[in-house]
Amino acid sequence: MKRFGRGGAALVVLLLLWSLGPMLWQLYTSLRTPEALLGDGAGPGGGWTLANYVQVLHGAPPFWRYLLNSTVVGAISTLLTLLLAIPCAYALSRRGGLLRLVVSGGLLAAAVFPYVLLFLALLQVARQFGLANNLLALCLPYAGLSLPLAVLLLQAAFAELPVELEENALLEGFTLMQRLRWILLPLMGPAVVSTGLLVFLFSWNEFPIALTWLSRSELLTLAPAMARIAGSSVFTVPYGAFAAATVLGSLPLLALLLLFQRQIVAGLTQGAIKG
Amino acid sequence: MTDPGMTTTTSAPSLRLDNLTRRIGGRAIIDGVDLAVAPGECLALLGPSGCGKSSVLRLIAGLDTPDAGRILLEGDDITRKPPQRRQVALVFQSYALYPHLNVSRNLSLGMEIRGVPAQEREREVTSVLAMLQLTELAQRLPAELSGGQRQRVALARALLRHPRVFLLDEPMSNLDAQLREELRPQLRSILCAGSAPVIYVTHDQQEAMGIADRIAVLSNGRVQQCGTPKDLYLTPANMFVASFIGRPQINLLPQEDGTVLGIRPEHLVATDDSGIPVRVLNREWHGASQQLLVSSPQGDLRWTCDGAQPIGEGLRLGWDRRHEHHFLKTTGARC
Repeated sequence: MKRFGRGGAALVVLLLLWSLGPMLWQLYTSLRTPEALLGDGAGPGGGWTLANYVQVLHGAPPFWRYLLNSTVVGAISTLLTLLLAIPCAYALSRRGGLLRLVVSGGLLAAAVFPYVLLFLALLQVARQFGLANNLLALCLPYAGLSLPLAVLLLQAAFAELPVELEENALLEGFTLMQRLRWILLPLMGPAVVSTGLLVFLFSWNEFPIALTWLSRSELLTLAPAMARIAGSSVFTVPYGAFAAATVLGSLPLLALLLLFQRQIVAGLTQGAIKG
Repeated sequence: MTDPGMTTTTSAPSLRLDNLTRRIGGRAIIDGVDLAVAPGECLALLGPSGCGKSSVLRLIAGLDTPDAGRILLEGDDITRKPPQRRQVALVFQSYALYPHLNVSRNLSLGMEIRGVPAQEREREVTSVLAMLQLTELAQRLPAELSGGQRQRVALARALLRHPRVFLLDEPMSNLDAQLREELRPQLRSILCAGSAPVIYVTHDQQEAMGIADRIAVLSNGRVQQCGTPKDLYLTPANMFVASFIGRPQINLLPQEDGTVLGIRPEHLVATDDSGIPVRVLNREWHGASQQLLVSSPQGDLRWTCDGAQPIGEGLRLGWDRRHEHHFLKTTGARC
């Protein structure tokens, strides 16, 4: 750090404030009484409260229900995506020539397509196949929308593994599944974790599809649930409760990132240094 | 083994390549290669980079399929057999050690996959580690090993396969020159201990001559000549082999009659008046020997002689007729 000097340190603090500021503001808001927020009454040291959290946690249905829903949808979407993307990415990375170019191009086009444009069509699909108000059905569009990017990322990671490793395993008698299980996937840990987290984040934050596919309140995932909290009263905006919900909704993500910190950094810098 | 009839079976080639051909994009990178390797024999495939020598190994291992020709291993046609059923071990140039597994796991995983019982795995790994002086390193990851140690782990892994043929692809190219010379006798004794034939790919003629029983010189996907190091040195089949074998390179002097005269630098001698007059252009003195570049009416000549040889004015060089090689200028073939 010393090399950056004082100016560098100031810049780092500025960047931290820029990205963490809104979150710290939410944390602050969530711990204040409505009166304190609106600026009347509370003396110095006063106006702090946990009432916002109590309110959110004792809502109907209670907040943990949304957390559970989002966790289940996120976990299943991620598993489904990885399960399908890993074999696709492997096959693609081992093919040369035109086929790989065409498929990769198609995947790239699908990955950059703004999926919001699809949500009305997806709603029709949900109606047609009776998938509305089915929590697990939400995993289908989530996995489908995540697949292109996941395949592209994993394919690049597969392509980076030296081909001799797999050839040696082949000569040693490993079957395809054994090669994936023992040689390739252990070496792709960081890439798999980073890709999985991206998928999980997408499904955790996804709003339009969840909003239109789900209407029963005990099935809601976090994003539409929070929108409901924000719009629950005609007369006031429940800033405190909304902020408390935001904080609670971010905690699982924070835990996940801390848990996989090392792999994420390794995944992001993969290929930067040849081992 | 006491049956006298066995002798004929064991001297029959263990591995035979018949007219092996591989084309990529219409160009033959391997062009009708015929080779036979006897049990326990070490054959070096020697050639410049891009001559197809590594491609031959990949065809034998089954990592690639030939367009024509056959591969026979112990009499059984393995040309189309999947690689995992050929019982062939290949030591890659990069060694291909599994980077996430420690040395002993690198050695035992393959056996585990092939269903070798745990006790036997343990016993075999322990003995091969001891044989290659790797016991101390058993718990290390490949990244924590030196180049020479990695090479030994790769060899150990190949030995544990009990293969029907060993294939080695430039196993020394990642090591420094001194280590290479140190390891050569060790490698030779390990490889030649068993009855499986060894095919050793290299571009270094010195290494090939030091390790192999026979050398096949490859160029443009074709075997130029196959024989003992002595054969190749004494009677090179063409100009390519003549210049590839022996350092410094043979002197090739074009003649009036459409032939080329070849004379090795070490066969030139200083004479009185009968030889050709030369002038010294460059001199490298190595102690026991010295290497000179001299100009003569016939062109520049490389000359290797004793370190004690005085080099003065009015130097004349000659050679014994027995050491002359003659090649056709058009095809390069010996004549």
